[in-house]
Amino acid sequence: MTTGKTTRHGRITISPNAIATIASQVTSQSYGVVGMASKNLMTGLAHALAKDPRHGVEVRTLGGHILIDLYVVVEYGTRISTVAASVANSVRYQVERALGMPVAAVNIHVQDLRVSDRD
Amino acid sequence: MTAQTKIPNAEAAERLYQRYDAIDGNDLRSAISAGLAWLRTHQQVVNALNVFPVPDGDTGTNMLLTMQAAWKEIETQASPNVGVVAHAVAQGALMGARGNSGVILSQLWRGVARVLDGAEAMDAELLVKSLDEARRTAYKGVVRPVEGTILTVSKDIALAAESAYEQGVRNPLDLLRLVVEAAAESVERTPDLLPVLKDAGVVDSGGKGLSYILEGMLRSAYRLPLDEPIHAVQQLSSLSLDGAAESVEPGQDWEVVVDFRPGQPLNLETFYGDLEAMGTSIQVGEGDGMYRMHIHVPDETQYRPIEYIQGLGTVTKVAIENLMDQLEAQAGAAGKELHLENVKPGEIAAVVVAPGTGIARVFASLGAAAIVEGGQTMNPSTQEILSAFEDLPTDKIVILPNNKNIQLAATQAKELTVKQVEVVPTVAVPQGVAALLAFDRTGDLPEVAAAMTSAIEDVSYGELTQATRSVEIDGVTVKEGQVIGLLNGKLVVAGDELEASLTDLLEKGGVDRAEVLTLYVGQGLPMAEANAMADHIRERWPHLETEVHDGGQPHYHFILSLE
Repeated sequence: MTTGKTTRHGRITISPNAIATIASQVTSQSYGVVGMASKNLMTGLAHALAKDPRHGVEVRTLGGHILIDLYVVVEYGTRISTVAASVANSVRYQVERALGMPVAAVNIHVQDLRVSDRD
Repeated sequence: MTAQTKIPNAEAAERLYQRYDAIDGNDLRSAISAGLAWLRTHQQVVNALNVFPVPDGDTGTNMLLTMQAAWKEIETQASPNVGVVAHAVAQGALMGARGNSGVILSQLWRGVARVLDGAEAMDAELLVKSLDEARRTAYKGVVRPVEGTILTVSKDIALAAESAYEQGVRNPLDLLRLVVEAAAESVERTPDLLPVLKDAGVVDSGGKGLSYILEGMLRSAYRLPLDEPIHAVQQLSSLSLDGAAESVEPGQDWEVVVDFRPGQPLNLETFYGDLEAMGTSIQVGEGDGMYRMHIHVPDETQYRPIEYIQGLGTVTKVAIENLMDQLEAQAGAAGKELHLENVKPGEIAAVVVAPGTGIARVFASLGAAAIVEGGQTMNPSTQEILSAFEDLPTDKIVILPNNKNIQLAATQAKELTVKQVEVVPTVAVPQGVAALLAFDRTGDLPEVAAAMTSAIEDVSYGELTQATRSVEIDGVTVKEGQVIGLLNGKLVVAGDELEASLTDLLEKGGVDRAEVLTLYVGQGLPMAEANAMADHIRERWPHLETEVHDGGQPHYHFILSLE
């Protein structure tokens, strides 16, 4: 299940893991996102134990389209909808720039909030 | 900071610093409105810078919408309580946060609101804490902060405020001025921290937006316009033909004002650019297609702006004035030029802080080698004190701060230099005079400083000023606006009339036993009036030798010493 394109030299394939790494990097620099979470508890444990850098990122290709799902923890006290929109925007831009291919969708799942300070 | 955001003169600065001694809810409300207005004026400038994290050119708009939402919260409901206003601002910014920069901005306000919670007014200390908490809160919202962004600017201004506070800056407006400078510098450094900015040849847009917000606040405190970009044209009527100069920079000898009608539409940016290459203090006015240009230029180039403008259209009127001549005339009216002692290597140099020109002259006549301007509400920075003596040809320095608030900066200057420095802890001008009378520039530094310190004790000093609020201290009840008299720093007299208060103060100070009275007359008091009062004193206490000096200090009608 890789993404790729054919050039005159041959075929280039990009694995979902490679894309997930880019998405993960961008997300960690994205303002308002303070952590990644998992889709469910079991894989969450597995990722936490393995310290997987792609924890909370899911990349699928569907009929040649790239779909990215991000499971994030957002800082309490920020405007969640704005933070989510910014992450999606940044991830799409950076992945498309690195791949030179369009991303069909970036879905943001806010799994939790982190409270650092009470006001 | 843009060069145009300056206080016109020292007198105005002093007045403003007193006005913004503490920031209440109404002040913060005005500041928010001003920050918003100045950001709106430069919205497109900020948008054009936006290349990170996604180059979609909307940072200016996003920050503006965020600030607008913050303003909406306080627009209709004013509160005198700074904590309440800050809380509403933070709430509004949160609800209206747009884009990355907007979210970060809302976090900054959230930090500020947390520190100001419950506070009625914000002093310098709270301002420093607010900026620090703003930075802390902003940095918490991201796993891997990217430097070279608005985050970095928020960090740099917090640090600048903190270090200024440590150096003794205690006025919120003065702090804001330093914060605005630090923000501008920080923004300039962003391309060095974030390569994507350098590649695009821009500074960070969010940082720039924040810097505009802060600058707008400062401009409104300075009563400068907020609705026109820096390269702007003002109403022709507001630009007079002469006397536009508030201050003169060294080397700018001529003021040139030219009225003209351009042959074709004026490209303001080029126009300003060309003028900036010729001189300073540039102002341009427009009305009905007529333009007026005002500039200060160095000697022998006074015809250059005229020739330049002749190339742009028809010149209708020209006025050239010699600023140096004007300045000398002003100085002549106020007295002679300041003649400071020339110290030789190995001798001790006395560095004296003086609140007014007349007092500076007195210190100079007593052998001061350097004068630093400063007083009650205009504390010089450590740097200003340092630079006053770093270039003197001796390494033995004695500093007279002449004010409690300046002692810290003086002590810090001591720690920052390789020179040997002693600070004589004078807290008032008369103490400084007494200390300087005991000064021996050829002596041994610690011994001289000790002798000067013990000389302080022989003098009683008094100050007469206007009460800025109603209060009861040391058993004296004061109403706002009354004349109050302080003896050796303690409030002893309050009255409605200056002369009566002066007499009271002298009696409290033991005038019957004193031999010499020295009066330093403040800025606002005409010398004739002061002399008349001195004559009454001479009649009443003939044994007393009464001297009157034009002190020129702000705020204090009289500073006096009794010996």
